[in-house]
Amino acid sequence: MNLTKLILGLRFFLVILGAFLMIFLFIESKEIEVTIPSLKNYYLNFYYEDTAAKNSVAAIYLNYRVFDTLFEALMLMVSVMEVIHISWGNKHLIQRSILRKEFYKNNQSEVVLHFVGIIFPFLLMIAFYIIINGHNSPGGGFQGGAILATALIARYLIYPNEYLDLNILEKLEKFLFVIILSVPIFFIFMNDFSGNFIFNQIYLVTMNILIGFKVFFGLGVILYRFIFFERLN
Amino acid sequence: MDFISGETVGIILFFIGLFGLMTKKNILKTIMSISILQSGIYLFFIADDLPNNSIPPIGETLEKPVADPVPQALMITAIVIGLGITAIGLTMFIHYKKRYGISFWSRNRSEERSDQ
Repeated sequence: MNLTKLILGLRFFLVILGAFLMIFLFIESKEIEVTIPSLKNYYLNFYYEDTAAKNSVAAIYLNYRVFDTLFEALMLMVSVMEVIHISWGNKHLIQRSILRKEFYKNNQSEVVLHFVGIIFPFLLMIAFYIIINGHNSPGGGFQGGAILATALIARYLIYPNEYLDLNILEKLEKFLFVIILSVPIFFIFMNDFSGNFIFNQIYLVTMNILIGFKVFFGLGVILYRFIFFERLN
Repeated sequence: MDFISGETVGIILFFIGLFGLMTKKNILKTIMSISILQSGIYLFFIADDLPNNSIPPIGETLEKPVADPVPQALMITAIVIGLGITAIGLTMFIHYKKRYGISFWSRNRSEERSDQ
């Protein structure tokens, strides 16, 4: 027991030492002035002319650094495929024969039911606003897709036993990933429309909508998979 | 208090997560530690290069001091990847628990129970 306490103390000491060292180095490095013109200056000077997006973050992740977005979409798709296919729990644990109305009359809170019903259209509205207006205002595909996925949580709160066909969602997600791959190939990498304002805006809105729905499907699959399949008993 | 900024809090969060990774033997606590570590990284990158009284980098012409858009665009990617990591880790944990019946890292149960 003494040895384990010693090892624990050593780890604690190492963590404290590392944190102090990092903070010290960080504060020291702040005083060095960088005189090289940075990437930030280039992006901030030219993003509106180059990409026609008022939101420079959207300009970066949809135009300048679109590879990031592509591989990140691939990463999300791989994790969804892992959650569905590598998983060993392939039995649906809730029998759908439970009567829905009786269930939610007995077990659900009335306040939650009514307020979710009131909130639901506004939820969808703000999600689509954030997706479609993401290149001009704070927002974008990822954020809007996450808000759309909260609509699925609201659906689960109201109908806890109604199942959603996850295979269709997964296939739609793969299909959207292929489209997400092909749209920048035809638009950005061809370099034909790079100065055209209207085509740039069409590209931004299209990509935001595609990414938003892809994130929505991915998060929905993960959520419903965890709710219905991955239970311990 | 110039000392307490987003970056220093991010560094401290990162090391709290690292400490959890090193000491906790429950797998769920390990996954939570990874999440804490990741949120420290997000906070560090987002708070980096953020001048005082700066505005968000949104608009046609930017004149005031603005925040750096590059780490923000990188962190959008990192957040979604962190979500994927958490989902994969939880799935693996559930099936490990189903197959072996334990939620610790070690095979020796009697040793682990006292150390929780």
